[in-house]
Amino acid sequence: MGFYVLRRLSQSVFVMLAVAFLAFALFRFAGDPVMQMTGVETPPEQQQAIREQLGLTDPFVAQFTRFVGELLRGDFGFSFRTRQPVAEMIRDALPATGELGLVAMAISLLVGIPAGMLTALRPKGFASQSVLLMTLVGVSLPTFVTGIVLIFLFGVVLGWLPTFGRGQTVSIGWWTSNLLARGGWRSLILPALSLALYQLTLTMRLVRAQMMEVLRTDHIRFALARGVPRWRVYVRHALPNSLIPVMTVIGLQFGGIIAFSIVTESVFQWPGLGLLLLRSIRFVDVPVMSVYLVFIGLLFVIINLAVDLLYAVVDPRVRIRSGE
Amino acid sequence: MIRKIMTILVLIALIAGTATATGTSESDSQSTDVVFRWATTTDPQTMDPHAVNAAPVLSFLNNIYEGLVRRNEQMDIEPSLATSWEPLSDGDGWRFFLREGVTFHNGDAFTADDVLFSYERGTSETSDVTSWFAPVTDVVVVDDFTVDILTSAPNPLFPDSIANWMIMSRSWAEENASTAPATDQENFATRNANGTGPFVLSSRSPGVETRLVPNTAWWDDLEHNLSEAIYTPIENQSTALSALLSGEIDLVNPVPLQDVDRVEAAPGFTVLGGLETRVIMLGFGHEKEQLDYSTDVTGVNPFQDVRVRQAVYQAINVDDIINVVMRGQAEPASQLLPAGLSGYSIVNDDRLPYDPVASRRLLTEAGYPNGFSFGLMCPNDRYLNDEAVCRAVTSMLADVGLQAELTTHPVRNYWGELREDAYDMYLLGWSPGTFDAEHPIRFLVSTPNEEARLGSWNYGGYSNARVDELLPEIQSELDPATRQAQIDEIAAIIQDDVVYVPMYTQPLIWAMADSVDLVQRPDNFFMLRWVNVN
Amino acid sequence: MKPGSRAKRNDGEFAYLFLRSPAAIVASVLVVLTVGGALLAPWIARSDPFDPGTYDLTDAFTPPVWSPEGESRFVLGTDDQGRDLLASILYGARLSLRIALSAMGLAAVVGVSIGLIAGYYGGWFDAVVMRIADVQLSLPAILTALLVDGISLTIISESASTEFRATVITVAIALSLWVNFARTTRAAVFVERNKEYVQASVMMGERPRRILGIQILPNVLAPLLVIMTVDLGRAILLEATLSFLGVGLPPNQPSLGTLIRIGMNYVFSGEWWILWIPATFLVTMVISVNLFGDFLRDYFNPRLR
Repeated sequence: MGFYVLRRLSQSVFVMLAVAFLAFALFRFAGDPVMQMTGVETPPEQQQAIREQLGLTDPFVAQFTRFVGELLRGDFGFSFRTRQPVAEMIRDALPATGELGLVAMAISLLVGIPAGMLTALRPKGFASQSVLLMTLVGVSLPTFVTGIVLIFLFGVVLGWLPTFGRGQTVSIGWWTSNLLARGGWRSLILPALSLALYQLTLTMRLVRAQMMEVLRTDHIRFALARGVPRWRVYVRHALPNSLIPVMTVIGLQFGGIIAFSIVTESVFQWPGLGLLLLRSIRFVDVPVMSVYLVFIGLLFVIINLAVDLLYAVVDPRVRIRSGE
Repeated sequence: MIRKIMTILVLIALIAGTATATGTSESDSQSTDVVFRWATTTDPQTMDPHAVNAAPVLSFLNNIYEGLVRRNEQMDIEPSLATSWEPLSDGDGWRFFLREGVTFHNGDAFTADDVLFSYERGTSETSDVTSWFAPVTDVVVVDDFTVDILTSAPNPLFPDSIANWMIMSRSWAEENASTAPATDQENFATRNANGTGPFVLSSRSPGVETRLVPNTAWWDDLEHNLSEAIYTPIENQSTALSALLSGEIDLVNPVPLQDVDRVEAAPGFTVLGGLETRVIMLGFGHEKEQLDYSTDVTGVNPFQDVRVRQAVYQAINVDDIINVVMRGQAEPASQLLPAGLSGYSIVNDDRLPYDPVASRRLLTEAGYPNGFSFGLMCPNDRYLNDEAVCRAVTSMLADVGLQAELTTHPVRNYWGELREDAYDMYLLGWSPGTFDAEHPIRFLVSTPNEEARLGSWNYGGYSNARVDELLPEIQSELDPATRQAQIDEIAAIIQDDVVYVPMYTQPLIWAMADSVDLVQRPDNFFMLRWVNVN
Repeated sequence: MKPGSRAKRNDGEFAYLFLRSPAAIVASVLVVLTVGGALLAPWIARSDPFDPGTYDLTDAFTPPVWSPEGESRFVLGTDDQGRDLLASILYGARLSLRIALSAMGLAAVVGVSIGLIAGYYGGWFDAVVMRIADVQLSLPAILTALLVDGISLTIISESASTEFRATVITVAIALSLWVNFARTTRAAVFVERNKEYVQASVMMGERPRRILGIQILPNVLAPLLVIMTVDLGRAILLEATLSFLGVGLPPNQPSLGTLIRIGMNYVFSGEWWILWIPATFLVTMVISVNLFGDFLRDYFNPRLR
């Protein structure tokens, strides 16, 4: 086991280096930051001087080495656009995305698991068929369209919910929270719904497929034949067995939430990491973009690692296979 | 297990109770407060008035900082921190008499030394506003409330050109180690401000929210009734409009042209429309020996032929573009600056007419009876409906046989592509920073010359000896009539040579709640000191 | 989806099951309508929306024919440039489909090959490839697209042409889809490799390429087919999202996604058809592809029925 963990850790380091390299290569080519940093009247030679000062004219390898070196020392650099420390910008944006993603994931699990069970237990029922059809629509709707529709309906026409931003928040240390603020949850509903929609359908489909597999296994059939009450069999025996892969889903969902939060946050002007990234891309804010990617990469690596290790604990075969 | 959860919940509640609440609750609780909220697409990237010479920054900071002079509702120059000024009797330059009894927001008194300091700061290596001081040779403090600004030649326009030169307190900057603008990492002045202006920066969360409160010790009469102003950047225009219509925002700038009717139809909202000082034009690659993006013409650049350039001009139906794409909200433009600005050439007021027949004839004369193909490059997030305008232009040019292959770039790539000459024809918008005809001539028409800082936006590389000869004369001519004659001559050259195809003056559309009363200035600067909420 | 769980069945059963499933029938009718319309665009559409000489700015914002101000020339109305919306949608869908299909195809070929080799040989190749897959998973598709887009812009100067943009987007989408194929194939190969018949072939000295191609690959085709249909839907949506974020196809040769992006500008202005008609078309197309995928999955995996 110890060897397996070590192996996995060393691979993670490799992954992180690759992500850092990609992040850096990507944003080296994103555009010219200096044209964004200066006004129209700034003469070209002054722009060139700024380029040199920021080290943008150095060879690629030198820039990359410096970037990784600074990252390792915990120096995340300063934004080209606002000149703020990047670490601080990421830290300030993290709670917004964190809460949004958490709530979206909660919605997707709380609705997705029962819906998945329902459609697995009564696949031919009217309710199941409607749910299946609805999830199909959910999977097929572009996130940006649902966002605007939600805003228009609940924000403008009905006037029930705020249309943009986080509204009221409370700060606990550096973490700012909507959930704990009085009325703050109202701002969270629309973006979380729009983000959860796609994830929900994934959860539901996975639980459904898994549940159907489990229902066919002998111990369930036997229990039913023995006359154990149906709901008891389903909830006590079938559900736990079909929830094991949900562990993987949460890992996968995290990826989806990070990716689609970019779109959702841009539509709802939600001041999180996605909006920070889009804004940085618009202004060619290379340090912010690179650190964002490395940060996201790190989160992924940690979550992947955790899921893999959990599997290794649950299922020794994984260990043996990977260790050969 | 349940007890554990309960304990945690109680703990969370306790933490939440002691945590500081931010957000709207405090300001809403007092109904007498007049809180004004507004949104634009671009957050000012810094609070430092000398760090970035860009409209979003200067517009925002004009509410906090002040210059020696300022612009009134009609864009005319009027006294601000200087009460009066006169040309120096001995030598070239201007003498400014400063206002007495003015204090900065932190209580420091304003004196001539702060003017000298702001000059030093504005001309420092890391400043982005050095171009304002190009003609200045020295700044001399005569006494605490008199300053001489020396220039290398007579400079009649100097007071007009420094309305955005904002004065910062020397002692404040020195105390906070911010004596020069930050380039690679922030300093105190990046997120804090200490001006003399009508509003005080009370909180700043970059990209999220910035709050201002009135300066109770301001020297001038109050014309607003605000107790707080809250600014939010909203990048997505549909979201911004939703926020306005749902009452969460009092003013949105800009509003997409196509949504003007929607806003006006909604009860309780109005649209404030005017013309910006920005002219949208097409530019050519004058210097190119051959077209880079043509599939049928090689070895020559047809756009070097003035007949071809004129054919482009006359093939574009600007009225249709204005009526359809700009929804009737723009004005046709004949010059590189809009009518009415200082130095506008009235004798060259007429545009060449839209005439596809003449256009085809010109192309035939130039040897291209069936037209030719070329590359047209446009930004897609810089000017109002820029992409749609370019598509319309493409369609109109196709009618006379000119096959434009349209490529669009976001502005972050656009300027780089322009500099790399990745076009045969391109779209450009220009707003004269000095509100004078000399500005576009200096940047867009004079022969590019890095050392003399001329023609830095003349990407096509147009060059005309007579223009280069007249420009310095315009810059120092004191007699208005002589100066206008010189400008008229250049305007005629630009028109005859079809250096650019000026199309229209971009509109300026703000949408707001009916309860808001304010002044819209043509430079698109948003001045809180004229805002009243009823 | 357990690979290899399905015994071979005859075509009669497919037809029988197909006819019993109303969803599958509706889906295939919709697929035929949308995909067929897209493929036949040059013959159905009355004008070529990619040719700027064929439309007129003064026709802009004509509503669909059933509105009072509609014109019979433009059945679904016109967009902000006076382009016939029906023609734009058909041509746009054609472009979207081409990109989605080739991205999916590219991802399948690359992913399956990698999965086969990694699953069969294991070792360092497997470790490296699967870690690359991790990297890929940690880069959301949108970022991958930006990466490919940004690098190609710098390296290749012709990058602005539609043809090139289409290639960039295809590669970007393929890059974000191949992991699924590789992982599924690899997992299936793990299972098959240890089965007796494969072991027997190995012992008899059969060449690995033959074992992979003839014995293992057919057994993983079923789950791959399902992934393909699901990913086709995803690819269409991805293209639309990329175009919405402005890194998609240029507006003079719009894909469905670009049409929706243009339409988003008019979401509040009363010209609803410019957004909602292309959006409805897109959603219908994706739903029908997904419905069809569901049917295929159920067919290949009868235990789920």
